[in-house]
Amino acid sequence: MIEYDELEKRMVLKLVYYGPAMSGKTTNLLRLHDLLAREGLGDLMMLDTADDRTIFFDLLPFFLVAPSGLKIKLKIYTVPGQVRHDATRKAVLQRADGVAFIADSQTGETANNVASFENLESNLALVGLDIDKLPLVIQFNKRDMAGIVPEEEILDNWRSTGIPVIMASALQGWGVWETFARLIELTYAHLDSRYHLTAEHGLDQRSFVERLTDRSRE
Amino acid sequence: MTDQVQFIVGTEKRLAEIICADDVMPLLEWGVKAGAGHAALLDSDGETIWEARGGNFNGGEVSCPVMIEGEQAGTLLVRGRGVDGVDPADIAALLGCSLQSLVKASLKRILTTEIHTTVVNQSYEELLETNRQLSISEGKLRELTKNLEQQVAERTAKLERALTRLLQQEKMASVGQLAAGIAHEINNPMGFITSNLNTLKRYAGRMVTMLDYYGSLLASDPAHASLLQRSFRKWQELRLDSICADLDSLIGQSLEGAERVKKIVADLKGFSHIDDSAMAIVDLNAEIDRTLGVLEHRFSVDTDVVKNYSELPGFSCNPAQICQLFLHIIENSLEARPKGLRLIVSTQNENGTLTISFADNGPGIPEQIRNRIFDPFFTTKEVGAGTGMGLSVAYDIVTGYGGSIYVASPPSGGTIITIKLPGQRNRDVTLR
Repeated sequence: MIEYDELEKRMVLKLVYYGPAMSGKTTNLLRLHDLLAREGLGDLMMLDTADDRTIFFDLLPFFLVAPSGLKIKLKIYTVPGQVRHDATRKAVLQRADGVAFIADSQTGETANNVASFENLESNLALVGLDIDKLPLVIQFNKRDMAGIVPEEEILDNWRSTGIPVIMASALQGWGVWETFARLIELTYAHLDSRYHLTAEHGLDQRSFVERLTDRSRE
Repeated sequence: MTDQVQFIVGTEKRLAEIICADDVMPLLEWGVKAGAGHAALLDSDGETIWEARGGNFNGGEVSCPVMIEGEQAGTLLVRGRGVDGVDPADIAALLGCSLQSLVKASLKRILTTEIHTTVVNQSYEELLETNRQLSISEGKLRELTKNLEQQVAERTAKLERALTRLLQQEKMASVGQLAAGIAHEINNPMGFITSNLNTLKRYAGRMVTMLDYYGSLLASDPAHASLLQRSFRKWQELRLDSICADLDSLIGQSLEGAERVKKIVADLKGFSHIDDSAMAIVDLNAEIDRTLGVLEHRFSVDTDVVKNYSELPGFSCNPAQICQLFLHIIENSLEARPKGLRLIVSTQNENGTLTISFADNGPGIPEQIRNRIFDPFFTTKEVGAGTGMGLSVAYDIVTGYGGSIYVASPPSGGTIITIKLPGQRNRDVTLR
């Protein structure tokens, strides 16, 4: 959590889209920004280079106000996937409240997915976050492409970890919202156990998820 | 400026932290010049951060929100009637639009700058740490290279010593096994030789008695005078007088010889300690005696062994090893002076330290080689005559028990080997 000010009634949360280079993290945020166009949603801020590679991060901010008056601000970040940007990844990962791991479904990218996930594990440990407790979902992106690992195989591989796995094509726009909604659900559960959002702020999981994932403009 | 930016990506910032007076004031001032009576930027609490005032405050008021990350972070306020047909609302829209762009650009700049600084600092620290680790391992490497030669020499010497010791132990073990095997084989025939000799002695006695009986029987009857005479002649011809007299001592000597064989076998068996477990509590005096017994065949007639034993407490050790130790030392004396050796063996218990010394009347050890005699493979004997392992193994055995071994060649001649063994540690050891 970036900030929690009880007096100011303000809570700032951080969600991070992690994953190997070119797996579609920025595309996920672009789609999400389109899907969730509603009041409280800020502009997507992209800090990228001329060749479109994210070297710092992208930021998608939005907020909601709980019945108690608590203002919850959500900031979604991506990280640069390239191996050489590890220090930046660490910096962005600090105080994250949830992570969506965006994997590349193409068969040739399996090794990169594994390396990036191991990098996530070690970086979480370095910034003092427990991967077993942190809300975490995995999205296998690029399902629209040829030469991808079969869904059955992916699900078999990840079943034992208990981490939710979502199939998606960010380019075509499906699976993106589901990934985000699942992460929001997990994040709420994690927050509620500590900050009693239902009991003290009148904000239950259903309204939290519905208000943050509202697609009414579609 | 601080050394390190403690920046958490996503930290909330207020309007005044993102943009500065230098950026905003010209905008507000140009707004006033363009016809606004008053242009001000307020923060989210409604407090004025910056403002520019013109002549005329009267007229309408137009406000315009300034957003940060989708939230209103401040308000632009433009008041006045406007001049030359310029609508203050247009000025407000223009200023608001400019301010919003300014905020957005500044926010991006701040985020990139701060994260850049964080990353650079972090990378630099990691670099320093890597450098530190490298320096340490480089130092170790340098140290290692420097000592490598010496370490190799030390290890080689150690290995050589261990190998020698192993070879010697193996040799002793196989000799011991052989000895024990032979001893066992000899014991059986020795048993019936001794028993048969005793029976033979008894039988021979009876035959002599029978011969005497015949003699007295013939002598008692004069009718058999000629028979007696012929028998007497044959008796003398066969020299039965001396045979009868010799018979006892012949058998007696044979029995004595058999007893000696038995003792040698027992010594051999005891010396090899083939029946003992690895560790036992022994009387060192008895072990010296055993070793001397085994070497007795190498003594010449004029060899003189003097034993100045004191009573010693039990010593916990591997008995075969201890016998081996004594064997090497006594053998050296024997080889130094094959004829006319006088060996004085003394044992003493000095406040728990067991001292054993072997003093011979050999030629002594020249001073220039005295510090080398315990080195493995060092020998003064001709090639092939000695292995150069004897005293080296003795040294290893003594140091193995935490003891020490010294050599001295007094001006009066001869060599004194002194062994000191710590007996104290054996006090609590009970016989297994």
